[in-house]
Amino acid sequence: MELFSIHNVQFKNIVNVNYNQIKIEECKTTFICGKSGSGKSTLLKLLNASLSADHGEVLFRNKPIMDYDTISLRKEVTLVSQNVFLFDDTIKNNFVRFYDYREEKPPSEVEILEYLKLCMANFSLDTNCKGLSGGERQRVFVSIFLSFKPKVLLLDEPTSALDEATSNALVHNLKEHCMKNGMTLIVISHDKTLAENHSDTIIDLNLEA
Amino acid sequence: MNHIVVLNLWQFGIVYLLLLIVLAVFKRCKINQSKFLLIGSLRMTVQLVLAGLVLTYIFENPHPLFVLLYLAAMIAMSIHTALSRNREINKRFRAIVACSLGFTGFFMILFFVLGVVGVNFWNPQYTIPISGMIMGNAMTGVSLGLKTFQENVKTQKAQIEALMNAGATPKSILLPFVNKGVETALLPTINSMLGMGIISLPGMMTGQILSGTLPTTAILYQIAIMITITTVVCLAVFFSLFFGYRTLYNKKNQISLDLL
Repeated sequence: MELFSIHNVQFKNIVNVNYNQIKIEECKTTFICGKSGSGKSTLLKLLNASLSADHGEVLFRNKPIMDYDTISLRKEVTLVSQNVFLFDDTIKNNFVRFYDYREEKPPSEVEILEYLKLCMANFSLDTNCKGLSGGERQRVFVSIFLSFKPKVLLLDEPTSALDEATSNALVHNLKEHCMKNGMTLIVISHDKTLAENHSDTIIDLNLEA
Repeated sequence: MNHIVVLNLWQFGIVYLLLLIVLAVFKRCKINQSKFLLIGSLRMTVQLVLAGLVLTYIFENPHPLFVLLYLAAMIAMSIHTALSRNREINKRFRAIVACSLGFTGFFMILFFVLGVVGVNFWNPQYTIPISGMIMGNAMTGVSLGLKTFQENVKTQKAQIEALMNAGATPKSILLPFVNKGVETALLPTINSMLGMGIISLPGMMTGQILSGTLPTTAILYQIAIMITITTVVCLAVFFSLFFGYRTLYNKKNQISLDLL
């Protein structure tokens, strides 16, 4: 089934992008490629309604995305941004604080450890995030958002701070997890091989624009 | 006790000699602010001379209109100064700051003059200096609170973005920044209360004692004005930020920091 369809969408506040007819299918893994400034991140922000298009239409399950309650939508369509943010606190408390902001109960410690393992971040729960490296922080950040159990997971350059082997393992795990749980995965990556190895579909914004 | 030594102009002139000492220190430490110091002292002199002349005229010819005009000018200047120190915020936010500062300031002036002192509001001798103290402090507080809020929000863009993407409401994301702004604005006032009477004899009290008021009366005024100042700072900053932060997001829960 078609999850998102994007018709002639323009967003020209920051980048001049013209998306003609992009369709994204449910329960599949879609990679988005394109050079810097081609509007990859902007596209993901349009999909979780944290930005509104100036022209054109973004449909989610055949309904204009702006007709949804945007807070519930973002809980269902969750974007993991390129800019990693963690509180200067332990991993456990980071989960707790993010869930507080969502007004939800945090998962159990066992569950948290599973999500961390899935994201190649095998740290103890009382590790302070302040002392982690860029790549380690990135993986903890992804694991928090994965634990929200969204229907659609949008990842903006999730492997930018990781080496090739870790990148491959992380994306492999994420894809497997999403397939098993009926989730849709949409990933921005500038890494062509990574995209070719793991995607069901690739959207190349250089060609679409 | 009831007469005050009037300063002789020639004698008074020697105080300006102190500036030479400051200038010498500036030169020795290569502090490039001599011009700023001179402009500052000059502006202060001119402004105070004018204020002295205008106040003398108003005290000799008291009229409600003069009090009202002086008050309006004071409120307008305080709003202008607070906003000019925070140029980047959006128009609606600015209007909210102006209203919060103006209304809370005016209300606290009314409260102090009519409620605490209990004199005629149109008596310039009370209303004008008290308004000056209240508006001056409210202005400093609002500038500080606004600046803190603005800087924190700007340096925490990643936090705001991450929480917005996690499905948090703009209110829950931004309110902690409002709280921090109010707290920061209030701390200097509360700190100055701590040292009062021991480390420093505050300006208003000193002035009253110099002009022959009994210290026991002077301290009552001082306590009352300090509590009033704390309240006016608290309310003006709180209203500015609490209503102002809502201009940073829309009905679709999209937070736009370009509006800051």
